[in-house]
Amino acid sequence: MQNPYIPYPVVVDKIITEVDTKDIKTFRFKFANPEDEAKYKYISGQFGELSIYGKGESPIGIASSPTQKGYVEFTVQKAGVVTTALHEMEEGAVMGIRGPFGNSWPLEFLEGKNIVIVGGGFAFTTLRSLINYMIHGDNRKRFGKITVIYGARTPGLLLYKDELIEWQKRDDLNLNVTVDKGDATWKGREGFVPTVCKEVAPSAENAVVVICGPPVMIRFTLPVFFDLGFSKENIITSLEMRMKCGIGKCGRCNVGSKYVCKDGPVFSLAELDKLTPEY
Amino acid sequence: MEKRIIKKDALAGIAKKMAGDFLVWAPVKKEDNILFEPLQKGVEPFFPFLNSKNAPKNVFFPHTETLMKYTRTEKGMVFSADENKASDSVLFGVRPCDAHSFALLDKLFDQEKYKDGYYIAKREKTTVISLACVKPPYASCFCTSVDGEPVSSDGADILLTDIGSDYLAEFITPKGEKLSKYFGDAKADAAAETKKNEIVAKAKAVITSKIPAHEVKPILDKNFDNPFWATIHGKCLACGTCTYLCPTCHCFDISDEVKASDGVRLRSWDSCMFPMFTKETSGHNPRQSQKERWRQRAMHKFKYYVDNFNAIACVGCGRCVMYCPVNIDIRKIVEDISKL
Repeated sequence: MQNPYIPYPVVVDKIITEVDTKDIKTFRFKFANPEDEAKYKYISGQFGELSIYGKGESPIGIASSPTQKGYVEFTVQKAGVVTTALHEMEEGAVMGIRGPFGNSWPLEFLEGKNIVIVGGGFAFTTLRSLINYMIHGDNRKRFGKITVIYGARTPGLLLYKDELIEWQKRDDLNLNVTVDKGDATWKGREGFVPTVCKEVAPSAENAVVVICGPPVMIRFTLPVFFDLGFSKENIITSLEMRMKCGIGKCGRCNVGSKYVCKDGPVFSLAELDKLTPEY
Repeated sequence: MEKRIIKKDALAGIAKKMAGDFLVWAPVKKEDNILFEPLQKGVEPFFPFLNSKNAPKNVFFPHTETLMKYTRTEKGMVFSADENKASDSVLFGVRPCDAHSFALLDKLFDQEKYKDGYYIAKREKTTVISLACVKPPYASCFCTSVDGEPVSSDGADILLTDIGSDYLAEFITPKGEKLSKYFGDAKADAAAETKKNEIVAKAKAVITSKIPAHEVKPILDKNFDNPFWATIHGKCLACGTCTYLCPTCHCFDISDEVKASDGVRLRSWDSCMFPMFTKETSGHNPRQSQKERWRQRAMHKFKYYVDNFNAIACVGCGRCVMYCPVNIDIRKIVEDISKL
């Protein structure tokens, strides 16, 4: 059996600097042993532990979609010891990833429904994975209307800019990108995510909201969806906690009886209501 | 079940004989403390002890343990496949409360999904010999309130009970029976059994410290926000002694250490009492003060573990009660919760 504490060795295949502040990069990893790719079978919404020898590990949501074969991607903000070391790495470097860990976006529950994706800032990564999974040719017909509302503080802070352009061209995905404040070249929408959600006003009929973002965005956006008639069962989000093992043993990421690493990170608001508010 | 009688003064000899064949963890005197340590040649095991200062969980879940090693080579970092090795071992003479803790830790480390190979390998290779508490050693013992008994084979492969001039050795599991050859060949008679039953009843009666451990679960379910939680932690120093000595505390940290081209990834005990335990890189800490950390400790033992594994994560050994530098008493806390 695979030892869950031992990372799969990976090669940094490609590094994309996502934002103009240069502190958020997407890392594309290829498995050093090609047979490991099949073992690292993941679902959108899961996370991995990025493992840098001598520095430690950092739990990061998987940003690529399982439909993207041959590699796995993580979008990482430079923040602590491990992510700083990661940001200093160059293409060709060898490191490790563990996982995939956690539950995932509830794909079976989402099937056949209209999906409203709401993302703010840097928290868009596992939502991007879900979008790319749903719009893949093999999967698109399993989901109803897809509406995406994605906001960042400035145009330079939007992630996956090339992909946003591609998504904009599609007629099977309603993309609404907004920034808090535009710049001289910005021709898109300006406004905060809650306001844009109100303007877009997706119907609650047979629909589920999947939302990730900074707490302040979530706090002001949820009432908009309650007003639109969404129930707590149909609003899904993902939690973050400090983690180490990723498999529910080291004891630090529990919220009540649930370990975010193992029983989460994905919960519906209805499920969160049953947990203690300690996150 | 195989049962034998062994002379009281034969016990140390048995442990030493086993130590010639396996790694034997036995109680040894170290300055003022009794600790379970690998029995070295020339060292006498000390059996007339009350209980060891440290819980013997370190036999299966060491204070610091190597998860993997890595080396810098021309091709980049190469890491060792697996460090999880264990040799045939015997844990000789643990108290029943501590043996009970192994059964509890098994539930966490040996779950259906995500097995912890490091713990499991050592557990499988180790035969646990319990030494019954004929006279429960401390006034702070409360095993009978948390599904334990002073004379119990729970978590043990062999149970030794002092029945006067002899020990009764009961071989509980096939793993225990494999070691029966070390225990001589005097079969236990009916009189030994009768004697043991008398001792069991007497030992249980000696334990007068009782806590309503089972009664508090439904109360904890409803009282996460009770003002009571602000009343426990005032004098807590956040030293972590309670969690380090606790037989069931299993929280750990994972960290890397590097020397020149070689490095190790280690796991080491951590504590929910420490402010850094849940502090995130952003600076956000879901458990802001010692109040939340104490609530976590009490909830984990008497509610969360029950929710997840249907068992209370406390064995009533009383170590946290005896060694807390500011006399915080988990028994009093549970008592107070029962009155909320």
